[in-house]
Amino acid sequence: MSLSRLTWPLGVSAVALVVWEAAVGALGIKAVVLPRPSAIAAVVLERWPLLLEHLWPTFYQILLGFALSVVGADNYVRGLFDPDMWFALLVTATYSLITVPVQLGLGFVMAVLLVYSERIRKGVLPLIVTSQIVPKVAVAPLLVVWFGTGDLSRLLLAFLIAFFPIVINTVVGLTSVDDDYIKMARAFMGTRWQIFAKIRLPHALPLIFGGMKISITLAVIGIVVAEFVAAQRGIGYLIVMANGLLDTPLMMAAIAVLSAMGLALYGLVVALERVVVYWHVPAETTAGGTP
Amino acid sequence: MATVPDSVEIEKVCKTYASGLQALRDVTFRVAPGEFVSLLGPSGCGKSTLLLLLAGLLPVSSGSIRIDTTVVTAPRPDVGMVFQSAVLLPWRTLLDNVLLPVELLRLPRRAHEERARELLAMAGIEDFAARLPHELSGGTKQRVAICRALVLRPRLLLMDEPFSALDALTRDRMALELLRLWEQLRPTVVFVTHAIREAVFVSDRVLVMSPRPGTIGFETDVKLPRPRGLSIQESEEFNRYAGSLRRAIEAEEVV
Repeated sequence: MSLSRLTWPLGVSAVALVVWEAAVGALGIKAVVLPRPSAIAAVVLERWPLLLEHLWPTFYQILLGFALSVVGADNYVRGLFDPDMWFALLVTATYSLITVPVQLGLGFVMAVLLVYSERIRKGVLPLIVTSQIVPKVAVAPLLVVWFGTGDLSRLLLAFLIAFFPIVINTVVGLTSVDDDYIKMARAFMGTRWQIFAKIRLPHALPLIFGGMKISITLAVIGIVVAEFVAAQRGIGYLIVMANGLLDTPLMMAAIAVLSAMGLALYGLVVALERVVVYWHVPAETTAGGTP
Repeated sequence: MATVPDSVEIEKVCKTYASGLQALRDVTFRVAPGEFVSLLGPSGCGKSTLLLLLAGLLPVSSGSIRIDTTVVTAPRPDVGMVFQSAVLLPWRTLLDNVLLPVELLRLPRRAHEERARELLAMAGIEDFAARLPHELSGGTKQRVAICRALVLRPRLLLMDEPFSALDALTRDRMALELLRLWEQLRPTVVFVTHAIREAVFVSDRVLVMSPRPGTIGFETDVKLPRPRGLSIQESEEFNRYAGSLRRAIEAEEVV
């Protein structure tokens, strides 16, 4: 990463923070309305254990929601991080058992099916697209009614929000291979499976990663929104709680920490992309600014 | 090094697409083992379609195509193909691109790697074996595509306007290099082009195709001595061949 790529966004951010700090002081704005950046930073430093306690569940649920969207794998792994909620796990496990086939059919697997079966494409793709028009945020309370206030609702919401870009990008990636490549592979006696594994899939990888970059940010939104609606912990819950106490500095500290985490997750996907899609030089992908 | 080349027999081949477009009508010709034959014609005359039929990538509507006396129904391992664009896989090094046909046929890589390196060396690009395609020029990429088509020692090489995407200078040099490779390996070649001088330069025989529906209207043996150098293009004989082919194409277009 070159120096100028970092200095410009950092410089602009720094100027904005200085203006903010000065404006709050000069205009006499109360901390309840808008705290100074320095006050927010102080909260982050002082109440770090509290923030971390709530960041952790948000973090692993985002990762899980994202992972579900990528592979449609089941969510038993969740229990490993959550040893003191065995009952909830049992309930969730039961639900997840029911939803496993559904989950397996979504994400990447769904994309492959959409590409290779015309019937599924014609029958299911319109439903998927339509489901994206429904505002997921509005569905959150409904999920709570159906699946309770446990982790399952949260994961489902994150999954519902996050999986669409991955499905669509994977479909586009698998089908946008230039016909000449398919002809070439067939002329050299490639089988259908070989054409999928050696040509379509690698060709789709840059686009799949494009979808993953969108999905990871959407997964953050999904989990936090779900935590707004129903949760006893998590950063979303902390924000709602701080709001109730009119503790604006804590709210903004939570938002800052959340943003940093989202950025880190995004960076992780970008780093993975650089390794996996080594032949592809991605356009400007990393956000260089600080929250 | 040399392989036994295939013969090609095309008999009354017609091809009509599902859309109703008749691409080829009653195409009949024979290519002798080891012969270098060009199909010359304007775009849309069905010459690329004919090549796809030969490759077994498209079925004929009627008539028959035989390679080495066997009727073609599917792609064959003893046929190599070069396309208009290089169609190299961008995530594979040049060497791995050349070895793709080996991999697709599940043959041992080890046994063919030496052959692949040898071909890259013959094409003068062995130093780039570990590079990725996006780092290289169009000419180099097309050289790799030719090496890929030759890696399994094909007895028939099909080339679909392989140099048409290259600039004029690179084109001339590539044609020369192709002849050098061909003289060492001697497969049968069916070479599709719309460039008259290129057809004369590389071929033993040139078949002129006329469009809508594509048929073969005119053919001529090119009795220029081999090996040929670029300077042969200045000879009177060369220009006489080029002239007669140009007139044949013009005559077909008037009809």
